[in-house]
Amino acid sequence: MKSIFFHLMPYPELPPDFPEQHRSVWVDIDPKLYDPTVGHQTYNAYLDQLEFAAQCGFDAVGINEHHSNGYGLMPSPNIIAAALSRNCPDTNIVVLGDSVALYNPPLRVAEEIAMLDGITGGRMIAGFPVGSPMDTIYAYGQNPATLRERYHEGVDLIRQAWTSDEVFSFNGNYNKLRYVNVWPRPVQQPHPPIWIPGGGSVDTWDWCAAEDLVYCYLSYFGYKAGLRTMQGFWKKVQELGKETNPFQGGFAQFIAVADTEAEAWDLYREPAEYFFNTCLHVYAGYADPPGYKTPNTVRAGVEGMVERAAREATARREANAAEAAKAGGARSSSPSASYGSKKLSFEDMVEKGYIILGNPTQVTEQVHELATTMNVGHLMVFSHFGNMDPELVKMNTEMYATKVMPEVAGLFEDDYEDHWWPQADHQLAPVGSRAQ
Amino acid sequence: MNAAVPLAGHFAPGTLPYRDGHIGVVELGEGPTVGYLHGMLGNPGVHAVLEELAAAGHRVVAPSLPGFTGSSEPDGLRNLHDWVVATSEVVDVAGLTGAPLVASSVGAMLALELAAVRPEAFGSMVLVAPFGLWDDSDPVADPFGTTLSVQRAMLTEDTAASAAFFDDPSDLPADMVVEHGVHRYLTRTAAAQLIWPLPEWGLADRLHRVRNPVTLVHGAKDRIIPASYLERWAEALPNVAGTHLLDDAGHQADFDQPAAVARIAAAAFA
Repeated sequence: MKSIFFHLMPYPELPPDFPEQHRSVWVDIDPKLYDPTVGHQTYNAYLDQLEFAAQCGFDAVGINEHHSNGYGLMPSPNIIAAALSRNCPDTNIVVLGDSVALYNPPLRVAEEIAMLDGITGGRMIAGFPVGSPMDTIYAYGQNPATLRERYHEGVDLIRQAWTSDEVFSFNGNYNKLRYVNVWPRPVQQPHPPIWIPGGGSVDTWDWCAAEDLVYCYLSYFGYKAGLRTMQGFWKKVQELGKETNPFQGGFAQFIAVADTEAEAWDLYREPAEYFFNTCLHVYAGYADPPGYKTPNTVRAGVEGMVERAAREATARREANAAEAAKAGGARSSSPSASYGSKKLSFEDMVEKGYIILGNPTQVTEQVHELATTMNVGHLMVFSHFGNMDPELVKMNTEMYATKVMPEVAGLFEDDYEDHWWPQADHQLAPVGSRAQ
Repeated sequence: MNAAVPLAGHFAPGTLPYRDGHIGVVELGEGPTVGYLHGMLGNPGVHAVLEELAAAGHRVVAPSLPGFTGSSEPDGLRNLHDWVVATSEVVDVAGLTGAPLVASSVGAMLALELAAVRPEAFGSMVLVAPFGLWDDSDPVADPFGTTLSVQRAMLTEDTAASAAFFDDPSDLPADMVVEHGVHRYLTRTAAAQLIWPLPEWGLADRLHRVRNPVTLVHGAKDRIIPASYLERWAEALPNVAGTHLLDDAGHQADFDQPAAVARIAAAAFA
C-alpha cells in the first residue's frame, strides 16, 4: 500500500470565535481575516512539511485545489507542485488535483502537468476533480447545469492532447481549438497516471470503473463513514466484471500518532478541534446547488462530503440555538447567536473514525483495517490538520513514516500490480544540481 | 395531447412530444387562448394563476420548458441561444404562436429574448418580475447560494403559495415521491442554468426590438429582484402598456397574488 503525505494548507490563525461570528469558512469568508504576513510564514512552513515528508520516505506528497477557502490555501496546486518539484527529487507528487472545468482552455492543465512531469523526470500523478460546489459554482461562477459536461470534455481534451502524435483540432461544446499541440510532452508515456477524486457521485463511480481510473474518496469523516462510498465504487467495478484491484482506489484519513495513546489524546486535541469546528464551518447554503449532482445521484440519495460537512455544521448550529432558547434566549439577542455553533468533541472525532489516533501499534491496526475493509491501496495521510504546531507535524509525520508505514507498505503489493503509479522504467534520473 | 405522465406525477397533467422527449403541459378553461410561461417554480400541475386566468374567460395553455416540472431533461441546451431556440419551439409545439402571454421570472426573461428576435411569437405580454437587468448599485439577489428553505422564502411572500411545487400531496405513492424530488431538483437546475452566476446576458441591448405591448407586474416584497427594477424595465422597454406593483407579493407574484395577476392580464388582453 502506498502512503501519500497530503496537505490541505489551512489558514492557521482564524479567530477562536470564528464559528460564532462568521457564516462560512468558504466562499464568503471575510477577506479582512487574511494576514499576508501569516500567509508568507504559512506557505513556507507547509512547504517545509511536505519536503520533510518526502525525506521521511513517504511514497508521495499530495496537494489539492480550493478557492476562497480558509482551510485550503492552494488555489493553484501546480504552483505548489512546482515549488516541490526541485526539492523532493525522489518523491512522487500527487496533484489531486486540477479542477479541469475551471481552466480555459483545460489545455493549461495538460501543459502544466507535462512541465512538472518534465521537471521531476516522470514523478507526477494527475488528479482531475470535478471540484466542490464551493470552488466551482460559487467561487468560480461555473454553471451547475453544465459543469459536469464541461469537466468531462476537458478531461477528454487533456487525454487526447497527451496522447496524440499529431497536431489536431478539438471541436467540443465548450472548447473550440483549431490547433492542439502540447509542448512540452510528459515524460511518462502515454501520460501520467490519472486519479479522480470523488465525493459520492454514483456517475463518477461508473465512469472510473468503466475507464479504469483511480477513484479517490477524499473524505474528512474517516474510514467508518467512507466505507459505503468505496463499496459503491467497487460494486460498479464488479458489475463490469473487472478486477477489484485495491490500487484503483484511494482514501484520505486523518492520522494522529504518538508514543502513547494518552499522549496522542493530549497532543492532537487542539488542531483537531480547530479543523473540524472552525475549518469545516461551511454554510449549508453552499453545499448543494441545483445541478451539481446528477439525477442518478439525487435519485440514489447519496450525500456529498462537503454537503455532509455543511449539514453537520448546521445541525450543531441549530442544536446550539435550541439550547440557547431553552436557557431563556439569553444568547439569541447577541450578534453571535446567528452563526453560533455547538462544537464537535475530539472524543467524537476519534470514536467515529474521523481521526485514527493512538500509539504506533494502534494506528497500524486501524490503518490495516481501513485498507482491507475499504480495499484501498493508496492512502492519503493527513499528518497535518487544523492549526497543528510545526514541531508536532514533524513528529506525527516521522512516526507514521518510521513506525506505521513499514508495517502497512506490503499490503496488496504481492497480489496486485499498481497500474496507477509512476513506473520506474518511465522515469528519468535526476539531473543538474538535483543529481548531487 | 398525450395524457401519459410517466415520471412527472402531479406536476404534469399532460405532455406533448418535444424533440426526443416531451414537455409537460397544463391546459384548462375555454375562450381565447392565453399562454403562460412559468418562472422558477415551473408549472407544478394546475396552480392558482392558471385557474384564475381560466376563470376570467381564457383557455390557458401552460407548457413547461425543458427540464422544468414534467418535461424531459434538457438535451443540448448549453447557452442562452439554445434556450431561446428551445422556447421558440415550445411556443409552437404548445400552439401558442402569436397568442397573448403571461410570463414570470425566468420565463419572462426568455419571452423577452424571444420577442427580440421573433416578435410574432407573442401578442401582448404581461410580465411578472423578469430577470435580465442588472444594476451594480441595487443587485439582484442570489436565490441559489442559500438553503432550500431560505430559497423557498425568497420565491414567494407567503411560503404556502409555493406549496404546489415544494410540498407533495400526502397520498402521493412512495416511488412518485422520489420522482417528484428529482423533478424539483431538475426544475431548480434548469432555473439556475438560466440565471447563473448572475442574470445579465445583454438583454438590455436587445430590448429595443421588443415591439409587443408589455404590461409589467412586480411584487413589492420581491426578495430576489428588487421592486426598483419595475421602473428600470419600464424605462428600458419601448412599448409599455402599464406597470403594477403588487403589495404582499414576492418574486413570483403570480403565485402570491394569482387573482390580481389574472385581473391585470384580463384587462391587458381585452
